[in-house]
Amino acid sequence: MHEMAKELLDAGERDFIDQVIASKNERPGALLGILEAVQEHHPHKYLPMETLEYIALKTRTPLSRVYSVATFYALFNLQPQGDNTICICRGTACHTRGSRNLLESLRLELGLALEDESDGGGADKILQTTPDQKFTVRTVACFGQCALAPVVEVNHHICGHANERTLQREIQTIERGSE
Amino acid sequence: MPQKKLSVRIDGELISALEGQTILQAARANGKRIPTLCDLEGLTPVGACRLCIVEISGTDRLFPACTTPVQDGMSVTTVSPKLTQYRRVSLELLFVERNHTCSVCVSNGHCELQAMATEMGVSTVRFAYNYPKLDVDLSHPRYVLDQNRCILCTRCVRVCAELEGAHVWEVTSRGIHSRIVGDLNQKWGDAKGCTSCGKCVQACPTGALAEKGWAVEEMVKKNDNISSLVRRRGVQA
Ligand code: SF4
Ligand code: SF4
Ligand code: FES
Ligand code: FES
Repeated sequence: MHEMAKELLDAGERDFIDQVIASKNERPGALLGILEAVQEHHPHKYLPMETLEYIALKTRTPLSRVYSVATFYALFNLQPQGDNTICICRGTACHTRGSRNLLESLRLELGLALEDESDGGGADKILQTTPDQKFTVRTVACFGQCALAPVVEVNHHICGHANERTLQREIQTIERGSE
Repeated sequence: MPQKKLSVRIDGELISALEGQTILQAARANGKRIPTLCDLEGLTPVGACRLCIVEISGTDRLFPACTTPVQDGMSVTTVSPKLTQYRRVSLELLFVERNHTCSVCVSNGHCELQAMATEMGVSTVRFAYNYPKLDVDLSHPRYVLDQNRCILCTRCVRVCAELEGAHVWEVTSRGIHSRIVGDLNQKWGDAKGCTSCGKCVQACPTGALAEKGWAVEEMVKKNDNISSLVRRRGVQA
């Protein structure tokens, strides 16, 4: 399996990971920092399985431990992220102000599947990426900006009192910008 | 260095305990039993199941006996209507979380969860069941992992990491989505580190981990073997 990780990662990627590991150097809790830096370095902001395997090998951490940490924290992505991230708050304040409808219309707008059976009925965290890798839609439990409910974050910038129209406009701006 | 002797009261009876012992260890050393599920003698206690909660005089909080160290002069209550109430709720929530269909389980009649429910008088569950859709991993040549019966006690995780040194298992995700995974979410049969020693199977309190080839009610676990192995090897939990 270790051979596999070596084959699948290119040399540049491996060097980068080696450097990150060397810089964090065996400190307890180093794994978190390593995963974060390596994910940030990836063009699609995620941790592919080969990367997790390589990190496990290099830090002498059991594979299951690395996987456990990478899936415990919402910060880590195991799937490639789109170029743009739209994050809809599904906290209580935003929910009562219609964030469910906002989410549904956004998914319709971007052509994403509506109810995924496996996500257990809608209350859960959602993470979907369009097939062209342009947009990732995700949800959080509360931004801590409840006074502005419903809150949507577009590429790390907060839009308060969001409605379908403002969302459409944000998407158009992004689409136009990328043409 | 000789350990300091402490005197502790458990259910009114004065016993002597050693400094550094947990309430559970002190109780056991004096022949007293406290209900437990996630604890397995010899493995590091984690306080996951909350069955071992006890009352300590002077505070309203309940404490898990398996992870709370004894203190000199402590007075501990291990049986009370309040404790039974909480233990029942913990058990009910364990049943609700997964699909525990005892009548078709390999461990029916030999399951620690079932035995604990009987002991605590849990015959019905007051909460709605979750009915999660979960996998059964049959890929290992000798063993089965049935997520439907798992109570996330992490005994398998600890016995594999601490005693076998293979660390095949971990808990992935969190909250209601937590579950046991091998390696990088690989099938058990593909887990490179697994030595097929079977310790996780023997340590598992329920029918979640079992040997292949047994029918309903036939899987009897030998987890005493694990505790005695720990004692023989002198592994310190
Ligand atoms: S059989 Fe042994 S090595 Fe394999 S997962 Fe179970 S405890 Fe670990
Ligand atoms: S598989 Fe068994 S031992 Fe492992 S966490 Fe689940 S119930 Fe506990
Ligand atoms: S609930 Fe949406 S910001 Fe708090
Ligand atoms: S035995 Fe103490 S919490 Fe499970």
